[in-house]
Amino acid sequence: MTVRTRSAVAALAIGVLAMTSACAEGNQGAPAASGDTPGATAPTAAYKPPTITVGTADDSKGPAIAPEGAVKGGTVTMLDRDDFSHFDPAQIYINTEANFNRLIGRALTGYKRITAGDFKLVGDLATDTGTPSDGGKTWTFTLKDGVKWQDGTPITSEDVKWSMERTFASFITQGPTYVQQWLTDVDYKKAYQGPYDGKSLDSIETPDDKTIVYKFKTPHADASYAFAMAGYGIVPKAKDTKEKYDKEPFSSGPYIIKSHLVDKSIDLERNPNWDPATDPIRGAYPDKWHMEFGQEALQINDRLIADSGADQTAMTFYASVPPERLQQVLGDSSLASRRLNSPSPYGNYYYFNLDRMKDPKVRQAINFAWPSKQIQQTLGGPAAAALPTTILNENTTVGYQSYDLFNKVAKPDGDIEKAKELLASSSNPTPTVVYAYNQTPVQEQVTVVIKNALEKAGIKVVAKPLDRKTYYDSIGKVQNEFDLYWGGWGADWPSGSTVLPIIFGPVSDGAPNYSHLKDPAITAEMDKITAMTDIDAANAAWMALDKKIQETITPLVVAENKIATTLHGSKVGGAEIDPQQWIVQPDTIFVKP
Amino acid sequence: MLRFITRRTFGAVVTLVIIAAVTFFLFFAVPADPARLACGKVCPPELLEQARHNLGLDQPLFAQFVSWLSGIFVGRDYEGLGHCSAPCLGYSFVNKAPVLGTILDRLPLTISLTIGAAVIFFIFGVATGIIAALRQGKALDKIASVSSLIGASVQIYFVGTLALYFLVYQNHILRQPKYVPFTENPLSWAAGLLLPWIVLALIFTANYTRMTRSTMVEQLGEDYVRTARAKGMSARSVVMRFALRGTLTPIVTILGIDLGALIGGAIITETTFGLQGVGQLSIRAVTSSDLPMLMATVLVAAGAIVVFNIIVDIMYAFIDPRVRLS
Amino acid sequence: MSTPFLSVRDLTVDFHTEDGVVHAVNGLSFDVEKGTTLGIVGESGSGKSVTNLTVLGLHNPENTTISGEIRLDGDELIGASRSSMEKLRGNKVAMIFQDPLTSLSPYHTIGKQIGEVYRKHKGASRAEARDRAIEMLTRVGIPQPKTRVDDYPHQFSGGMRQRAMIAMALVCDPDLLIADEPTTALDVTVQAQILDLLKNLQDEMGTSIILITHDLGVVANTAHDVLVMYAGRAVERGTVKEVLHEPRHPYTWGLLGSMPRLSSAVDVPLLPVRGTPPSLLNVPPGCPFHPRCDYVKLAGPELCRSERPELSPHRGHGDACYLTLAQKREIHK
Repeated sequence: MTVRTRSAVAALAIGVLAMTSACAEGNQGAPAASGDTPGATAPTAAYKPPTITVGTADDSKGPAIAPEGAVKGGTVTMLDRDDFSHFDPAQIYINTEANFNRLIGRALTGYKRITAGDFKLVGDLATDTGTPSDGGKTWTFTLKDGVKWQDGTPITSEDVKWSMERTFASFITQGPTYVQQWLTDVDYKKAYQGPYDGKSLDSIETPDDKTIVYKFKTPHADASYAFAMAGYGIVPKAKDTKEKYDKEPFSSGPYIIKSHLVDKSIDLERNPNWDPATDPIRGAYPDKWHMEFGQEALQINDRLIADSGADQTAMTFYASVPPERLQQVLGDSSLASRRLNSPSPYGNYYYFNLDRMKDPKVRQAINFAWPSKQIQQTLGGPAAAALPTTILNENTTVGYQSYDLFNKVAKPDGDIEKAKELLASSSNPTPTVVYAYNQTPVQEQVTVVIKNALEKAGIKVVAKPLDRKTYYDSIGKVQNEFDLYWGGWGADWPSGSTVLPIIFGPVSDGAPNYSHLKDPAITAEMDKITAMTDIDAANAAWMALDKKIQETITPLVVAENKIATTLHGSKVGGAEIDPQQWIVQPDTIFVKP
Repeated sequence: MLRFITRRTFGAVVTLVIIAAVTFFLFFAVPADPARLACGKVCPPELLEQARHNLGLDQPLFAQFVSWLSGIFVGRDYEGLGHCSAPCLGYSFVNKAPVLGTILDRLPLTISLTIGAAVIFFIFGVATGIIAALRQGKALDKIASVSSLIGASVQIYFVGTLALYFLVYQNHILRQPKYVPFTENPLSWAAGLLLPWIVLALIFTANYTRMTRSTMVEQLGEDYVRTARAKGMSARSVVMRFALRGTLTPIVTILGIDLGALIGGAIITETTFGLQGVGQLSIRAVTSSDLPMLMATVLVAAGAIVVFNIIVDIMYAFIDPRVRLS
Repeated sequence: MSTPFLSVRDLTVDFHTEDGVVHAVNGLSFDVEKGTTLGIVGESGSGKSVTNLTVLGLHNPENTTISGEIRLDGDELIGASRSSMEKLRGNKVAMIFQDPLTSLSPYHTIGKQIGEVYRKHKGASRAEARDRAIEMLTRVGIPQPKTRVDDYPHQFSGGMRQRAMIAMALVCDPDLLIADEPTTALDVTVQAQILDLLKNLQDEMGTSIILITHDLGVVANTAHDVLVMYAGRAVERGTVKEVLHEPRHPYTWGLLGSMPRLSSAVDVPLLPVRGTPPSLLNVPPGCPFHPRCDYVKLAGPELCRSERPELSPHRGHGDACYLTLAQKREIHK
């Protein structure tokens, strides 16, 4: 149960929210939501989403491409509020933990940074991104030469197989579950109980030390993306201590944990058996990492703003500038070179409860009347929140295509006339909408904005504040009493395949299909795209389906997307926010001399 | 005295068990489910059941409490994690570390923070209170009264954040608060906690000044103080040996309450200064529904209040022979 | 006749309070001879306690104005330095108070409280001081003084506490003992014991005593001279015999009337002095007693209300009243 407060926010957006009960918003990492202070002064150049392509075997060779000015050596200090709860990759889903894991663990594939905003999926331990056969049902990977564990023993296909097998064990409950289900069944834990009782999984084959073959029940064109998830990182068979491995991981990455004082600090030193020539992803420029935990985002950012002494070589993975400091940070041009920003990679939606809001014209009218711009202002202006128009997020969708069904670009304040028109032709020109919201100070303000706007169009809004501890339990009930409520979901890899089949997947209590969409045609379409073997065609099809769903069904209003602003010390180079993980990634970080 | 302490200790244990039971059952009264937090992003019912079983939450509530309680006295066995010897407070749901170890690791910080600050604000508060009492109506008295009002109305979070900003980040007059064990280096220990001590002292001193002043004024009017003066005792001896004794009784009561409250309420102080003590643990335990850790932090906070109450009672006996002998 | 041991002349004490100036003592003069006891009698608020605190310099200097003379063995005490006053207190002049329970420190043992006076003034060691404390406790009649010396005041009975208080006052063999209502808080049998004790100690040590009381009975048994005070002034002065047997002032008559007598029947009501003492913030003009006096008409209302009577004659039995001596004798009968 990793979802600590900070993670809560990440998780929230990722959708684990359903359970985060804790402080849902306004914590560390929650990007600026600074009440009613509009007009951030920072230049709001049009944001360019990342390009993500699949790399070749050549691209998969080490070493990593160095960012400009990169030098080796030095110690970088990382400040964050919360320590990492999990080091066992099989328990990792949360972005902060996945990010840390890049320093000590490797997986079959991963994302290589070519330049800022340009990424390639490449082989990490594998020589390339894998070879599909049998119509995408069989995937074969070959391990690189010279990849070793921290004790110098080679990483073998047996280790890779073991790592997947152990995710079936009963003590693993938190990591991703895609590949397990592909290899066995939806209820994968029933199909196989893990390797500890001596049984191995037949659907993974290791013909030799270097080759590993996965045999799925159905075709999966995007398997090479799935293997890039931190949750599918490797664990050595010989050093597997089951539950305890979560506390004492064995490194395959560039660093080794030298000391870890829970919730206080982590010190990393170089892993002598990591060979940069085998690693196309990790630059691993600093000799040492010193991580400190326990300070609030406000204090961390005050330290980074002051940029004095030892803090010049400090940075933060996740403590982005809190609302209290956002306007100051954006307005201070001397901070420009130490300031990073990125919109979140998560999908945020105001879901309609289709069981209650049956008339699509009313749902469309609400979309037209939606006061996106005013909500954005409430959250702190264009520097604090972006206004997407699609279900899929631009940061996590290969082949992203924008569309604007509800005229938001031209009329970001809402098109009341159009809404009224639609309502007039609907079954109920003066509908009443029960809007449930998470009772936080910011959401209170947003609710007022929404209520005012919809009432202008003749829609009566009944606002129902929900306790933040049980918010997701309340809206997660299929038989809920609300018409409209906020929810989020994050893609697991840059494709609609980890978004649409889930937020429009099975309807049950607690499941993320909050709009209760059950359309056989849509379900059939999603099954069809999932089965496609051409990944580019699949991505294009997901994008088209996104638009089709909004056009024909309109199960939701696309919500504002928060923008994180993160600072780093003046002697830290190569700091970039990973657009997919929404966190400053360690691979390109270096200490300026 | 021994009987008194024995009796009080027994009472304290009973109190703590009751507090533990209330905390435990209250925890389950709120709808947050720790098993859901231990279950992945997509959490099908089977996985949730598995997570629940892994955390021992599938047992009847009462049985869970009994095994938790008996773990403290006789230890318990944990599947996959091995034996946890008595006194066993369980393993954290979050990081699977033994709770007791984590608590013992954090407690010295919280105690250092509290006791260190208390020594400062007690000495300063009483000293300025005495001076104010002896100079009734003069400037010093007025300064003490006004600053006590200010002290009473500001918050640790506010003063602490300001102090960090100006004294540490901007001007580097003091260093970033940090805990170094006393046994490792007493000087670094004090230097690392100086800022929180000062901030706490800033807030608390004034109250002691005010109370010392008013009690001292009262005491100076007492007959026995007049007797002491009539005996030819020097002014200093009259104040320090006679009036102060009577003044300390109510002050020590408040100190006991404050110390308990400071340890129990270390959350704000530690969060403000980014110190990893029991307070931060407790907030983490609450937000992450970490029941074993929550239980332990509640016990520590309640235990601190109980222990300081006993200490206050013992202090009374030292200060006032009438209490000792009755 | 040599100069008196304690000589107070024209003592005036004013307290400055928020409500105004309290004229606590107004032009008071009296003498105490060596080895004798002066009883100062009056209702509460008559200024008798203030006078004696002033002798010891125990008033609050912040809000008090004092004028006149207080000469002790020839030395002027008004305006004396703090350290010389500290040396005096508990040493040459000692004081015992009304309520021994509150007047003894509850935090220190009896022995310590007695011993520290001895150590302070005589420079004695701890052990010497303890021995002296035991000796003093023996002298004041505390049984088992060697063990009781380590007791705290709350472990003593009321009478024993006052004995301990006396032991503490006399530990340095003072020349003057001021006893402020020493028996008021005690029950009657114990009162007598304490007064006897004071008397015996006086005989033994030749100490002068000022005995402050509102009880003329106490004065009758203990004092040589009496001073009757009213509203910060002396209204009658004389020997015990003179004042008690031939009282001349209407106020003294009133006091005597309010005194319970063992000889009188239990059911005869006491006759308290009519009315209440005047506020010292605002003392009536003329004779301060005139609003309560039954003889204003007889003495001459004009005079009584406008002009303050002086104590006369200057020596011997004197009183401050406009009635003629003959009238006084007649009325007293």
